Parts: sequence; structure tokens; C-alpha cells
Amino acid sequence: PHSRPRHPGARTMLPLLLLLLATAHGLEEVRYKPKLAGPPLGGLTTASTFVLEQPRCIFNSVSSDAVIWLVVAVPEAVAKFNNSVKPGTPQRDFHGFPTTTPAYMTLNTTTLNYPCPPTPPGEITVLRVGSETSCATDTRRPTCNGPLPGPGPYRVKFLALNDSGPVAQSMWSDPITLKTAKPPSSIPVMGSGHSAGMIALTSILSILFAILLAGLVAML
Amino acid sequence: MAKSDDGIRILQGLLVFGNVVIGMCGIALTAECIFFVSDPHGLYPLLEATENDDIYAAAWIGIFVGFALFALSILGIVGVIKCNRTLLLVYIILMLITYAFEMASCITAATHRDFLTPNLFLKQMLERYNKSDTVNNNDKWMTEGVTKTWNKLMLQNQCCGVRGPSDWQDYMSAFRTTHSDADFPWPHHCCVMNAKGSPVNLDGCKLGVPGYYNSNGCYDAISGPMNTHAWGVAWFGFAILCWTFCVLLGTMFYWSRIEY
Repeated sequence: PHSRPRHPGARTMLPLLLLLLATAHGLEEVRYKPKLAGPPLGGLTTASTFVLEQPRCIFNSVSSDAVIWLVVAVPEAVAKFNNSVKPGTPQRDFHGFPTTTPAYMTLNTTTLNYPCPPTPPGEITVLRVGSETSCATDTRRPTCNGPLPGPGPYRVKFLALNDSGPVAQSMWSDPITLKTAKPPSSIPVMGSGHSAGMIALTSILSILFAILLAGLVAML
Repeated sequence: MAKSDDGIRILQGLLVFGNVVIGMCGIALTAECIFFVSDPHGLYPLLEATENDDIYAAAWIGIFVGFALFALSILGIVGVIKCNRTLLLVYIILMLITYAFEMASCITAATHRDFLTPNLFLKQMLERYNKSDTVNNNDKWMTEGVTKTWNKLMLQNQCCGVRGPSDWQDYMSAFRTTHSDADFPWPHHCCVMNAKGSPVNLDGCKLGVPGYYNSNGCYDAISGPMNTHAWGVAWFGFAILCWTFCVLLGTMFYWSRIEY
């Protein structure tokens, strides 16, 4: 018995079909992973904000009428994240994050704000996530870039949308954890002990005083 | 029993010299303690709020002890030159009392200096700086003192927090309850200010860009003057007491050797 010879092109057909499927939806996968800003900033992560590097020169294949959004999600929502849900809807409302909405979208801008070439030297270009406190409780602004409600961790990605839907997305970032503040009562105040100088001073002075009193008694 | 004239004369000369030195050191001690009590660096409110301001009590005692030493040294010189046993006995007894007070001052200054650790000031800063809900007048007074002192410290010394701006991030504070973390990761006094007293670049300060915010801590600016204060009172007092010990022993010997 001999096996039926397979069609020589069969092996390459399936991946090609899948690629065609993906590009038919028009979603370009950009090989860029968002990360925290490069320069050493004191406020890189605080208790409710963090600072990302701007995705400059990353989405240059996307047309200039597309809007690039930042998606902030809890790590559990990454696997089943649906790119087609529009920003500003209740499913992507910042004010329900993270209890009722596991991800929200904010910081929308066009590719013109992320140009090539990347940041000139001497300048710092960053994205501060969580800086808008004025709209933090304003439910009319579901795309508010409000302060994050807890220390996280959070994962972010960039998503480019135009009128017909998502056109490009970056990779998901590594989990970003913010700072947790300890209560001041946890600071240990007591127990530095006595320094050697103080002990020496006390003992020598006591001895001298004792000698003087003894001399007084002997004298009288 | 009377010593030879030469021996007595030498002892008299030494005792007069010893008392002159004590008199001058007494004046110096008074001047030094007045300087410390006048608080040129404005750090007293911080100590007052720790309710542990005994290094100031030690300086106050030092003022009066220094003056007493000066007065007693004159008495001692008169008593030695006149060979008067009564005067010298009064001198010795009063000197011993002054000695005891100065000893208390030195030991207090040295002991309480050991309490003033960075953690003490950190806890106080976090609990009192810009605290808005004060319970009584005393609390309000201490809170205002701490807030004003810290603001002045941060502006004049270009510093932030006790160890650095991270103090405001690592711990909860009374400041944090009224100022959100996103707008005020640290107080705006930590920002580099222009001539008019407003931040040069507020966004740069909030981001923590080096050059737009003060990244070093204020502990050196606090502990420097306090160390000088405490060690100045304690060790100068110790030196005076060692010298006074020798002079007093000599005086007691002299007293026991002269006749009425």
C-alpha cells in the first residue's frame, strides 16, 4: 500500500489562508511592546499614575485619519479582549474600572502626534497615565485619563481605530505594578539605643562628681 | 602644718589661673547657649511637636550655669588671694551645686540627641504636615509649626522629605488625604522655584524630571544644626566640668592647708 501523495502546496495553504483572513479584517499587528518611559524619572510610577514611552514612529503605516487609543486593562481581561468594542461605550468606561469594566480606553490622538523621528535629545516626550483629576468623577467623560484606582497590576496596549473599526494594534505590555503606600504607624521610632559618646560622658561625669563629694566629706 | 611660702604661692597662682579660665569659659558657655536657644535655623517647632525638646532645656540651664560659673570664679579668686577659709568654703559648696546642674545639662543634651532619629522626623512629617483636621488648639499650633517649618526647610535647602521625595510615595500621610496623588505626588514646595516663588515647570516636577524637582532629602539640613546644638552644649560643658574638677580639688587641698 502506498500513501496518497499530498498536494505539494497543501502545507503552505493553511497559513496563507489564515494570513489572508487576518488582513481581510485589516488588523495590523505592530511588533511593539509598550513600556515605561526610559529616562530616570522620580515619578515613573506613583500610587495612581504611571508614565509610558510614547509610541513614536511605530504606527507610521497607519493612515493619518486613524485615531490611536491607549487600552488599560487588568491582566485577566487580556485574553478575551475584544478590539471591536468602541471607546466611550459603557463597556469601556473609565469610571467603572476595574469592577464593572475590566478595560478602558483613553488618551486618543492621531499619528501626527507620534511622528518620526523619535524624540530629539534634550527633550522628554512621555504619556502620563492617570494625570486628569478633573474628570475622575465626571461620568460624562467615559474616556477620562483619570487616576488609577489601585496598585494594579495593569497591562496596556495601543489600538488604532478608524471609522470602519480597528486597523492596527501593538502587543500587550508586561504587567505594570504601581506603588503601595504604607501607613506611617509602621515606621519604627524607638530603639536606636544610646550612643557611645553619651555613655562615656555620663559615666565620667558621675565618677568625677563622686570624687568631689568624697573630697568634700574628707575635708570637713 | 603650714606649707612653705613658695608652695603656697604656687598653689595660689594656679588656683587664680584656674578660676580665671573658669570665669571665661562660663561667659563662653552662656553666649553659646543663648545662641542655641535663639534657634537661628528655625527648627524648634519640629522639636516642640515631638514633645521632646529637652535639648532646649539643657541649653537654658547652660545659660544660668555659665553665669554662675563666672560669678563664682570671681568669688574664688578673692577667696584664694585673701586666704579666707569661710569664703573658700562657700565657694566650694556653691561650685558643687553648679557642677551638679551643669552635669544634668550635659547628660540631658547628650541623651536626648540620641532620640532625634530620621524615623522620628519622618513619622512626624507624615502625620502633621498639612494636617487639616486638628482636634484642639495645641494640636493646631503644633501642626502649623511643623507645616511652616517644613515649607521653609524645603524652599531654603532645596530638599524634599526626610530621605527624599519617595517618602511621600512610600507612606500614607495627612498631606495625602487632602491632596490627590496624581496632582501632588509630593508637595509643590519640592519643585524648583523661580524668583517669584512658583514652580519653574509644574509638569516636570510632577513627573520627577531631574532638575525640576528637589530629589535629595532634608535630614542633613535638620540634623546638622541639631547635632551642633546638642554636642556643643554637652561636650563643651564636659570640658568645663573636667577643668572645674581639677580646680575644685586644688581648692579643697588649699583650704585644708591654710589656717584661720
